[in-house]
This record gives sequence, C-alpha cells and structure tokens, in this order.
Amino acid sequence: MENNFIIAGFGGQGVLLAGEVLANAFMLDNINVTWYPSYGAEMRGGTVNCEIVMNDAEDVSSVNKAETDYIVALNQASFDRFLSKVKKGGWMIANSTLVKQLKPRADINYIFAPVTALADKLGNVKMTNILSLGVLAKISRLVSLETLEKALDIVIPPHRKSLLPLNIKALKIGYEYDLSLTNV
Amino acid sequence: MTECLTTTDNKVLTKGNYAIANAAVMAGCECYFGYPITPQSEIGEFMSGKMQELKRAYVSAESELAAINMVIGACSTGAKAMTSSSSCAVALMQEALSYAASDELPVVLISVMRGGPGLGNIYPSQGDYNQATIGGGNGDYKLIVLAPSTVQECVDLTYKAFYLAHKYKNPTIMLADGLLGQMMEPVEFKEYPYPEIDNSSWALTGAKNRPARVIRSYAPSADNQCEFLKKLHAKYKLIEENETDWEEINTEDADIILVSFGSPARNAKSAMKECRKLGIKVGLLRPITLFPFPSKRISELADTAKKFISVEINMGQMIRDIKLAVNGKAPVELLNRPVGNPPSVEEIVARIKKESEVL
Amino acid sequence: MAALTQTFKMPDSIKKGSKFSFCPGCDHGVAVRLVAEVLDELGLRDNAILVASIGCSVTLYDFMEVDSIEAPHGRALAEATGVKRARPERTVFTYQGDGDFASIGMAESLHCALRGESVTAICINNTTYGMTGGQLGPTTLLGQITTTSPTGRNVDYYGYPVKIAEHVALCDGTAYSARVSLDSVPNIRKAKAAIKKAFEIQQKGLGFSFVEILSTCPTNWKKTPQQAHERVREEMMPVYKPGVYKDITADAEVK
Repeated sequence: MENNFIIAGFGGQGVLLAGEVLANAFMLDNINVTWYPSYGAEMRGGTVNCEIVMNDAEDVSSVNKAETDYIVALNQASFDRFLSKVKKGGWMIANSTLVKQLKPRADINYIFAPVTALADKLGNVKMTNILSLGVLAKISRLVSLETLEKALDIVIPPHRKSLLPLNIKALKIGYEYDLSLTNV
Repeated sequence: MTECLTTTDNKVLTKGNYAIANAAVMAGCECYFGYPITPQSEIGEFMSGKMQELKRAYVSAESELAAINMVIGACSTGAKAMTSSSSCAVALMQEALSYAASDELPVVLISVMRGGPGLGNIYPSQGDYNQATIGGGNGDYKLIVLAPSTVQECVDLTYKAFYLAHKYKNPTIMLADGLLGQMMEPVEFKEYPYPEIDNSSWALTGAKNRPARVIRSYAPSADNQCEFLKKLHAKYKLIEENETDWEEINTEDADIILVSFGSPARNAKSAMKECRKLGIKVGLLRPITLFPFPSKRISELADTAKKFISVEINMGQMIRDIKLAVNGKAPVELLNRPVGNPPSVEEIVARIKKESEVL
Repeated sequence: MAALTQTFKMPDSIKKGSKFSFCPGCDHGVAVRLVAEVLDELGLRDNAILVASIGCSVTLYDFMEVDSIEAPHGRALAEATGVKRARPERTVFTYQGDGDFASIGMAESLHCALRGESVTAICINNTTYGMTGGQLGPTTLLGQITTTSPTGRNVDYYGYPVKIAEHVALCDGTAYSARVSLDSVPNIRKAKAAIKKAFEIQQKGLGFSFVEILSTCPTNWKKTPQQAHERVREEMMPVYKPGVYKDITADAEVK
C-alpha cells in the first residue's frame, strides 16, 4: 500500500522539519519512505513544501506524484495551490488560523484545525508544524503517536533537545484535538 | 543533519548529498577539494567539518578549476581524493578530466546535475549525460560513469566509484541529479565493501631508492601516442567486459522496454508495473553504469522486443546510445521532460498505452 | 701526492645522461641546475615531488631525477596543493614560467599563497611566451615588441605588466618572496641562496615560498646570450627590481 503526503506553508513554519519527522516515523516502522522538498530558489517568507511517499510493498517509490492522499496546508497560499492535487476521497488538513474555512471541492475530506492558535496557546507558535502532524496522525491512522515521538527525538538535534518535551506536548495536543470542532 | 553519521548500525533517514559525503568518508577518502554550487553544496559543507574532525585534508578551492586539479595532485600520490560539483561547474573541469584520463589517475567526481545549458537553473536534470559519458575534454578518453537512482545507491555507488577509480586508474564520475541530492530516504552505511588497491607501483612518493617517476600526458612523438591510446582503449574494453552493470525487470517477454537511469527510472518502474497489471507486456532496463553502457544486453533484447522507450530528463541524450545498441532492430522512442522533476507515472503509463497500440 | 677530489659535478637531482632541450643561451638551464643543487645540498631529492607546468619548462621531468607530475597550463599550484595536502611530509615544488604563474594561473598562484600552502614555487620571468614563439605575456615590458605587440606594448591595448614577486609578497600566507636575476655570476649566487632559503622555509613549514627568476629568451628576443643579459640588466631590472620582498624569518630576527 502506498500513501503520499504534502506538507506546505510559509518558509519558517517548519514545513520541511515536520516532513522529516513524519518520514523518520515511517522508517522506524520499517516502511519504505521517500522525502523530497519543493524545489527552487527559496527565500525567507516564501512558500515551501515537501512531499513524503510511504510504501510498505515496494522497495523504491515513484516521485513527482500527480495526486496526493493527504495535504497539510499551513497557510492560505498552500491551500489554494494544492487543493486541486488532493486525490478524490483524500484529505485536505488546513490550518484554520490562517486559512478560510471554505470547501471548494465536494469530492474530498476537509479538516480545519486552528493549529497556529493552539501552538500560540501552548506558548510557542513555532509548534504549529508539529501540532499539525498530530492532527495528521489521528486522521490518517498510518503512524502512531509513539513512533512520532521517537522520530522527534531523532530529528531534534542535541543542542535543541530541551525543546523535545514541548514538541511532544504539541504532538499530543494535535492528536487529541476534537475533530468534531473542525466541521464548518 | 551535519552531525556525525560515519558509522551507524541502523538505517538513517539521510539526504542524498549527505549520504554521498558520508559514504566518501567511509570509503576512506583522504582529501576533499571543492567549490560550492547548488544543488550539491551540502557535500562540501559536510566534508568541511568531518574531514577536519578526522584530520584529513579539506580545501575550499578558489574555483572548480583549482578543485579538480587539487584532486589530480592528491591522486598522483596514490591518495583517495575527490571533488563534487554540478553541471556548469563540471563544465569547468573538463580539461582536468582529460588530463586525469591521460595521466591514468583515480580521480573521483560527484556530479549532481542541474538544468542547463549555461547557468540554467537549479532544478533536477539529466542534461549532462553527454558531458559525463562523451566528455567535454579533448582527446580520445573515457570516464567510468555510475548512475544512482535511490539514496541508498548514492551510498553504494560512492563506494564503488572509489574502488573502480583505483582499480582501473581511471577518473570516475558518480552522476546524480538535484532530486537525488535533496531527497531523503532511509539508508544503511555498511563498511566499505571493496578491497584496498595497492598504488605503490606508480604513486609519486619521492624517488627514494628507485628511479624517479613521471605522471604526464605530453607525448612528443606520434608513435608513442599511438601506442598509448591503444593501451588506454584496451583498458576501456576491459572495463566494459568486467564492470557493465544494470537492473532489468520483466524484460524476457516484453514487447516494450523502458530504458531509464537515475531518478526517472523510479517512475518508469512504477509505470511498468501498472501496465503489467493492465496486461501490457512492458519491461524495464535501468543502466547503473552509463560508461560502460549495457549496449550488449540491449542489443540482445532488441532481437525480441518490439519497441524501446527512453525516459530521460533532458532533450534526449541516452537515446543515442540505445539506438546504437539496438542498431535498427526496433524503433526507439523518447519520453522526456526537458528539465525538472521526472515524467510522472501517469504520463509514462499513457505513453506506454499509446505505443502498445501500434506495435 | 694527495688524491684528487672532484669539486664540480652534475647534481644527483639532474637525471644522468639527460641533455637540456632549451635553446642555446637560455637561462632555464642555469635555473634548473640551481634548483637541483639546492635539492642535493638540503638532501631533499628523494623526498621531493615536482609539479611541472606548461611552456618551455614542461619537460623538466626529463632533466630532473625527482618524482614529477605535469599540470595543465596554469594549474601547477592547485596540483601542488593537492600533493602537499595528501602528503604533507613531502617537499613539493613547482617550476613555472611567467605566463603559467601570473597569467592563466594567477588565481591558482595567489590563492595558494593566500592559503599559505607549504610549497615552493619557482617562476621564470622572461617577459614573453617562449615556447609558442614569443608572444606578449603578463610580464612583457611597456614598449617591448613581441609577435602579438608588433609596435610595442602600449597601455591602451595591452594594459600594464605585472610585478609578480611584489604581488606574492602581499599575500598573508606568503613566508618568503624574492626576485633574483641570472645575468651575472654574483647574481647567480644570490639566486641560489634565494632558492635555498625558499626550500628551507618549506622544510620549516612556515608558509608559501616563492622565487621569481629574471631570465633570458635569446631566441625570441633575437639577441645573443650576452645581449640578452644586457637587456635583463638595462631594461628588466629597473622595472623588476631584484630583492627580497618578504621574509618572515628575517622579520623575526629583527625583533
């Protein structure tokens, strides 16, 4: 079975890092995984995204997918850009703090979770990315919270390890966020 | 990500460029000389810290010209030495590669392709297939060219590049692309699997208790140069016989054979499998060595296959080698993207369907 | 009667039976011999690696009994850097012409000096591209007629000649930079002392060491060897003044 994900947002929202955590989690579960960033001359404040392909049957995944199973859009520009890429029956997980709660397509599922507001409430707006991973884990059921915690431990470098507990907390808040609240 | 990766027991999620750099360290690379260029700068960044930590040589060269010539200098002493670069900057190195081929030195170059010609852009590309396999330097020479298509292969073929370069005393290029350089996949860094090559019969060490040695390409007499070129090309023949490598899936009964190297080969493989599900007899041949090219095998397959499709990220470069191998026995079509990400699986499937209607 | 002792012989660093292929009267032969004598005297021959360059000096490895590699035009000091970094315990030197060192190879030369690589560079300055038939080079003097400056070097078309030893001396990684001449016996003695000093500085690992040697090209200058040396004295030395432009060991002694 193959699933792919795009995580997209502003530069500085930790999009690439969130993708790296997710990819590490699949690796820890012995699932073949590939991560690659959007490509181009990136600048601070511009949009950035990465794609993660997980596959538990093949040793090598294809890349540059036409459609996506799960898209995490952390800002409006990413929502607009990637809406058409969501696979029929796939999921658009949007940061409702920054994204208007509209559903232009009827053939996909939407989650609107105020991840930036939740991160702010937690005391560090930089936790937006990890909070959204928690939501994604809950929706997709493809990766467990425990594995994501282990993945965080791998990705967070030694000199930033003091931030690990806060990241794990963010992950849990995202995971436990009441999805019934996301209905418009 | 620039922390020490050197030895690991487990798989590590690693970016292609870091994987290459770490593999080079593990292969025993003693000297790295480089100049930054996107999309391979992480290789030099990693090496700058790691080589100093290990008390090995690292130089931020003033140019790619200098970098590749520093590699030549280091290799002339028998050392394992390398540089890494990309497209328009590899163009600057062509003179030195010609010298290194003539000097028969084990130069290792990691070339992470970006868009061209000229400055081009930093998107992935395979526009330097010709640059690597035919070369831009003067004279009749060949470089060994290895083409990875996964991050694990970036590791494995970096090891192999050092081994083959020293085994055959021949400059060797590992030809990756910007997508592989930036991609992360779980990789294993096993011990360097090849035997160490004894360079003591030719390396410059100082002429102590033996006649002085000269590493040169200048051949003032035509007769000498004829002999030299014959000898050099006998070596290339030997490399062809011993080292040609490729991956082959579902080719035995295939009507259509996809030929693709590097990152697009991943999508070609998925497309081939989808088409098999639809009952279309498609196979894949993925060259792992671009020189030596698996011409002999492609020629054999051309006896039964009805059509070949070359899948490349350029305007059609490898297709020439396929056509030479097929030698008119079957049509050879091109499915290309000029620059950027590989053609999508859907695009390749659609093309296979179309081509299968007119076999 | 006391046994006779040989007081003058070919240096061991010169290949036995080799014959210089330089034009008659060219100073290259003297310069090569001086380098060979210095290698002998310092006991460096069997530890030395020469990086030869392109130009009249290309076949130096045919005359010198030292391990050698031939660099592409201008890249000698890049290759020397690679050799030295790979094998720091070796004595590494280049022997280049002014075109190789200061025109096509200016970047490699000055950056090698700036990095303070512990190598020695010998540069023959004869104000012309000798091997290709006497064209204008980086050190061709103002007013000098060459095959590509038929009415003499003028600033409008050709710009100014480069004073190599002075430029090298400006690099912080340079430990020693000197300009010498081979026009007379006293000057040849001074030249040898400078070459020796350069190699000693490398032995001590103090940084980049450099000797520019003012030299003749009788063939392309269309002069006899004697006339050529007169030109060195009268036309070159006033512009390219011999002397030591940097010597960090001398500075240390003053303190």
